[in-house]
Amino acid sequence: MWHVHDDDELLATHLQELRRGTVVLACLLMLDRPDYGYALLDRLTRAGLAVDANTLYPLLRRLEKQGLVTSDWNTEESRPRKFYRTSDRGAALAAALSRDWDELDTVLRSLKGAS
Amino acid sequence: MTTTATTDTLTDRYVAAVLRHLPGSRRSGSRRPEDQRSEDQRPDIDIERELRASIADAVDDRVEAGADRAEAEFAVLTELGDPARLAAGYADRPLQLIGPALYLDYTRLLTALLVTIVPAVAVAVGLVKGLRGAGALDLIGETLGAALTTAAHLVCWTTLLFVTIERAAGRRTPARRWTPDALPEPPTRRARYGELIIYTVAMVLFTTLILLSPVISTETDAHGAPIGVFAPWLWQTGFVYAFIALVTLNLAVAYAKHYARWSVPLAVAGTLVEIACPIALLWLAAGDRVLNPGFTQAAAWPQSATTWINTALIVVSALTIVFAVIDGIARATRR
Repeated sequence: MWHVHDDDELLATHLQELRRGTVVLACLLMLDRPDYGYALLDRLTRAGLAVDANTLYPLLRRLEKQGLVTSDWNTEESRPRKFYRTSDRGAALAAALSRDWDELDTVLRSLKGAS
Repeated sequence: MTTTATTDTLTDRYVAAVLRHLPGSRRSGSRRPEDQRSEDQRPDIDIERELRASIADAVDDRVEAGADRAEAEFAVLTELGDPARLAAGYADRPLQLIGPALYLDYTRLLTALLVTIVPAVAVAVGLVKGLRGAGALDLIGETLGAALTTAAHLVCWTTLLFVTIERAAGRRTPARRWTPDALPEPPTRRARYGELIIYTVAMVLFTTLILLSPVISTETDAHGAPIGVFAPWLWQTGFVYAFIALVTLNLAVAYAKHYARWSVPLAVAGTLVEIACPIALLWLAAGDRVLNPGFTQAAAWPQSATTWINTALIVVSALTIVFAVIDGIARATRR
C-alpha cells in the first residue's frame, strides 16, 4: 500500500511531466506583449501556470538564442529591465504548438468519452 | 534601491556564485580593460543585470506585501535555488556526465574494450612471466595488476571521451524528449558503430602492444633483460610517442566522423590525420627503422625476413593512403 505522501509525490512528478512543454507555449503566447522576466513569472502564476523562477529565466534566454523571442533593455526606468517579445518565428511556432495542443485535447476528450 | 548593506551582500554573493559557474565569465569587478566588447554583448554581464533586476523585483513584491526586507531576500534566493544549477540552466549545460543519447554507445564501447583488451593484456603479461619462469604468486600478482591497471585506464579514458562528446557543440543528437528518432539505430548506422568499436579495440590493442614491447619480449640478452622487437631508435628519439599521438588522433577523427556533422574542415583534417600514420610508417619501413636488429639476431631470423616485413609495411601503408583519399572523396561527393 502507498502512503498518502508517496501518492502526492507521484502526482507531483506526473503533473510536472504533463506541464513541461506548456511553459514554452504559454511564454510565446504571453510575450505577444513585451514583458520582463519577473513580470512574466507573475502573469504566468496568476494565469494558473505556476513556473519556478529558476526554470523560467534560463528558458527565456534559450528561447532568445533560438530566435523565438527578441529582447531589448529598457533603461528609462530607475531599474533597467530586459524586455522580451515573441518574434515572428516564435509566433509561428506558438501557432503550431497551439494546434497540436488542440488536437491533443480533442483526442483526450474522445478517449474519455469512449471509456 | 533602498537595501541595507547586509541584504546587498546576500544577493551579491548569490549573483557572484551564479556567474562563477558560467563558462568564460569574469567577475565584473575584475574585468580586464582590454575586453572590447560592449556590455550588452557580454553574456555574463547581461545575465548579471537581468538576474539582479529579477531578484530586486521579487524582493520588492514581498516587501510590498508586508514582509521584512532581509527575510524577503532570503526567501527569494531560496526559491531560485542552487546557483550552480541556475548557471547550468543559463549555459544550457547538461547536469550529467553522459546523457541518455550517448549512454548506450558508451556502455557498448566500454564493454567491448574491457572484454577484449583486459584479457589480452593479462594473457600477454602472464605468458611472458610464465616463460621467464616466475613464481606462481609473482605471476598471478603481476597479471592481476596489469589487468587492473589496464581496466582502470580504459574506464577512465573512455568515460572522458564520452563526457567530451556530451559537451561538444553541434552534436547530431541533442538532448530532447523522447521521439521515435530515439529508437534503435537503423542497421547501417548500427553496423558502422560496430566497425567503430572494432577499430577502437584494434587501435588500443596495437598501442598497448607497442608500449609494452620493450619490456615484454620472447628474447632476452645475456643479463636476462628483454630485447624489444621494435628499433630502440624509436624510443631514443621519442618518435614512438609521436606515432602513438597520431594513432590517438586517428581514433578521435573516427569518433568525430561518427558523431559530428560532415563539414569541409573536418573532412580535410580527418583525411590528413588518416594518411599521417601510414606516411610515418612508410618512412620508417623505407629507412629500416621498424625492427630491432638485436631482436632479429637473437631470434635468429634470416636477413630476408626484415626485408620482407619492411616491404609489406610499405605496400600496406601505400594502400592505406590510397584508400583514405578515395574514402574522403567518396564521403564528400555523397553530400
